[in-house]
Amino acid sequence: MLSAILVNGLVLSGIYGMLALGFALTYGVARILNLAHTAFYMAAAYGLFFFLERMGFAPAALLASLLVLLIALAAYKLLLEPLREHEATVLIVTIALGLLLQEVVLLLFGAHFRSVPALLPGFVEVFGVRVAQQALLALLFAGVVLLLAWAFLKGTRLGLGIRAVAQDQEAAELVGISLSRAGNWAVGLGAFLAALAGLAVAPMATLEPHMWNAPLLVVLAAVVLGGLGSLPGALLGAVVLAFAEVVVVNLVPGGAFLRTAVALLILVLVLVFRPEGLFGTAFAEER
Amino acid sequence: MKGTARFAIWGLALALGGASWAQVLRIGVVGPMAFVQGEHTWYGATLAAEELNRAGGVLVGNQRYRIELVRVDTNEMTSVTDAATAVERAITAQRVDFLIGGFRSEAVLAMTEVAADYKKPFLITGAGLDGILAGRVDRNYERFKYLFRVSPNKSSDLARTSLLLLGEVVQAVRRDLRIERPKVAILAERAAWADPLVETATRLIAAPPPQGYRAEVAGTWRPSATATDVTPELTAIQRAGAQVIFTVLSGPVGVPFGRDWGRLKIPAAAVGINVEAQQETWLKATDNLGAYVATLNTLAPAVAITPKTIPFISSFQARFKQFPIYTASGAYGALYILAEALNRAGTTAADAVVRALEATDYTGPAGRIVFDKTHDVIWGPGYTTGLGVQWIGGRMQAFWPRQWRVGNQTVSYAGVQPYQLPPWVVEAWRR
Amino acid sequence: MTSPLRIWSLPWTLRYLRHEVLALPGRTAALLFVLFLLLFPLLSQDPYLLRVLTLTALFALYAASWDLLSGYTGQVSLGHAFFFGLAGYASAILGRELGLSPALTIPLGALLATLAGVLVGLPSLRLRGPYLSLVTLAFPILTTGLIFLFPRFTGGELGLSGLPRLGQSRLEEYYLVVGVFLLSLLFLWKLANSRVGLFFHAIREDEVAVRMVGVNTVRYKLLAFAVSAFFAGLAGGLHAHYLRVAGPDSLSLFNSIQPVIWSVFGGIATIYGPVAGTFLLFPLLEVLRVAEELRMLAFALLILLVMRFLPQGVVRGVLERLEEECPRCKVKNAFTRKVCRACGVPLHLREVKP
Repeated sequence: MLSAILVNGLVLSGIYGMLALGFALTYGVARILNLAHTAFYMAAAYGLFFFLERMGFAPAALLASLLVLLIALAAYKLLLEPLREHEATVLIVTIALGLLLQEVVLLLFGAHFRSVPALLPGFVEVFGVRVAQQALLALLFAGVVLLLAWAFLKGTRLGLGIRAVAQDQEAAELVGISLSRAGNWAVGLGAFLAALAGLAVAPMATLEPHMWNAPLLVVLAAVVLGGLGSLPGALLGAVVLAFAEVVVVNLVPGGAFLRTAVALLILVLVLVFRPEGLFGTAFAEER
Repeated sequence: MKGTARFAIWGLALALGGASWAQVLRIGVVGPMAFVQGEHTWYGATLAAEELNRAGGVLVGNQRYRIELVRVDTNEMTSVTDAATAVERAITAQRVDFLIGGFRSEAVLAMTEVAADYKKPFLITGAGLDGILAGRVDRNYERFKYLFRVSPNKSSDLARTSLLLLGEVVQAVRRDLRIERPKVAILAERAAWADPLVETATRLIAAPPPQGYRAEVAGTWRPSATATDVTPELTAIQRAGAQVIFTVLSGPVGVPFGRDWGRLKIPAAAVGINVEAQQETWLKATDNLGAYVATLNTLAPAVAITPKTIPFISSFQARFKQFPIYTASGAYGALYILAEALNRAGTTAADAVVRALEATDYTGPAGRIVFDKTHDVIWGPGYTTGLGVQWIGGRMQAFWPRQWRVGNQTVSYAGVQPYQLPPWVVEAWRR
Repeated sequence: MTSPLRIWSLPWTLRYLRHEVLALPGRTAALLFVLFLLLFPLLSQDPYLLRVLTLTALFALYAASWDLLSGYTGQVSLGHAFFFGLAGYASAILGRELGLSPALTIPLGALLATLAGVLVGLPSLRLRGPYLSLVTLAFPILTTGLIFLFPRFTGGELGLSGLPRLGQSRLEEYYLVVGVFLLSLLFLWKLANSRVGLFFHAIREDEVAVRMVGVNTVRYKLLAFAVSAFFAGLAGGLHAHYLRVAGPDSLSLFNSIQPVIWSVFGGIATIYGPVAGTFLLFPLLEVLRVAEELRMLAFALLILLVMRFLPQGVVRGVLERLEEECPRCKVKNAFTRKVCRACGVPLHLREVKP
């Protein structure tokens, strides 16, 4: 029981972690609450499905993530950046973008459930729990991606700039960091992380045009839980909510349908006691 | 002169022919057209309409009517409001005379309210909730008499068939694995239609024969109908030591179930209701891991439930290149049932048609359709019971009813093969 | 004017119409809109068209209620379906348990929604921006979970059906809903243009400054939640009885997002914005039924394109081109005018060439 929770929780944390980090980057730096974030994740998964019919895994994965990156940057440049000051408008534009991606996927692939063949078929027994080998691969992949992202953010000047803007936009501008450049990089990186999450999950999950709805709620909750503007906070939020979901599903066999409700309940409770989230800083409002 | 005479004769002939062909029956086919369930409703109806029109149309009184189908996409999976509005539009703006279709029970409840408002006969082909008819047709006959269900998929009937399938598998476990009291895990999606089934199954599994199976319930798991990952449930089921999983799944969760079950080679045979496994895209959708999954189905390849079954399947496959699911046979049957009722009634007036519909005794591809007092299809041998199918060797094969003893009858169809336990289950438990 | 003009008399009304209402395209449009709604059945009594207009009217009320909370006070609610759905369920359950008619259960349901509004407003007092939005998002989802936990009481995922009708015919239902809609709109309009409305705007712009001036922002923020929830609940109750079903569909995320889309499309922090947005988008979605597959796609594309070029909302964008403010007395003038109608100052000042 405990081992099942541990193993499944870790795998789910990896996926949610990648999604949450990407989302936190987009919000923290470009100040865009991108509700189409998980739609990018879906687009990458479908892209992989599409390209796999014509080529091997590695080129298909590469093409899929490039495609998503392209869509994200185009959306940012053409739609979101010009509308920066109108927060409410940006919100519904991202919703419309998510809907658009969903409808395109529906048109091209239909509402049927699709499956991407697993890279590593079969399962292993870990502490008495049967885990699909593909899930372990996804966990490993998520770990590597997160480490690389971390190295980038901590170790490079560009990463430093991005983190600075996430922490305090005005101060960062004062020291000469280009906001728009940081914004471009953050949006690109965020979308890329979402795409990678989609690639990792595709061989394990079922592809359907509404697969971006449930993860969106969890990602929103994770990022807010961790505190907006805090990148480690987003990761922690993702881990907490992933484990919460797995615990509910394992301990309450009749209550698996409550997983989203429980995740949000945790969020509400935490916010009641810490209104800025776990690691958020209560900074003065930006003009 | 000759030319004028000819012209006059042709003109007269056309006028007469035109007059007797002038009448059109507009039938609204309502369903979620973006999904296979809605699509197949439309296909099945189209097939029947074409056949009927080729045979000269529907004779009502001494007037021949041509059938015209009106395609109504209700979008019921996303919005109940939308579905109800679509039906109202079909009735008022598109002027349909009758309605067939419907899939999502929550939406059909609202859609049938609209149909009842306008007194339009509505033949439901997809939704399974008992309460669409029960509690309405009996308690408020004057308002709801226009509603009929023509597909044998009332939830309580599905329950009976699926439990019989469960019995077959429990027998196989007892026989092949030599386990006296097999353990059965119940995996039912969290949905209202599944609740009574879970209750009944829990009772029946543990009860002694002849009603029950003298087995043990290992536990009940209720994932969401739209879950994309059921590994936690499967892991728990494996730890509970179950040899059989009784599935009650109609939503998309059927696919991840099949895939995860096959991938992790859970040592328990899967049987029950799995609507996703009724479709021919099952193996592709589960990455070929869904083999040996057993589910109840309305049709199976090469099994002639009635003399109409195989011709229906063949023409459907020839025309639409897909294997029909139950909404297709339902819609096909619905059109014929309606045609026969109109014939009997001699008029298109709704009340008379309703009375004629109540006297229906139609043998269609899925079985013999006779309505009970709540306008639902009667279940049982000699009527319709459904089939049990299993995915073996890349194909859907029927395994039930095979020498099914009921009263003093034995029911069996040609083309039914015995049930096979998945090999890894046999291996796991032989030790 | 040789005789004194009495208010509310016919000459006064005509003068008012000519100088205040018809002088501006925006207000003329509003008048035409109200007349259109009231007189539409003289044009056509097609039940389908009446149905579309009835649903649009109640959804417009829903959107306006959202705007009062989120547009005016800046407390962006992403879970407004909570009030909408809760009132629908409450009305259905009260009708079932106590046998009351919809005339009683719908207002009672709306009052319950008001309480719910305060319930959501309380924790929101400590939260800002996206944190607040997320918490509001949680409430309808938690409620849906509760509904599934007690299916015998709430009808589970099928909801409660067979609810009593609002009226005997589509026409009666139409006038009832339109009547409630117009009266509620009048109330919201008056509220938004009163001192309270001013405080709402101020709270959105800079809450700290408002507090410094000595205003009890807590009271006003909670008031916004309460009033907004009341009207959302009213719309929800009407909706449930119109459809005859109160189901978890009414609490869905999609239902929470709809008023956001309609309001922002029309123009937030105005009352006419959400109304215009709903009356433009909802019937459009109906008309697009003819292209069943491309429907949502066209809808999403339309929103993207319109928002890109009219980010403050369609109505604001259009009004900006049609009306102009006088630089001296700040009175609005139609763009066709060359001088201000109140103070005579020339509008459209051109640059003086050297």
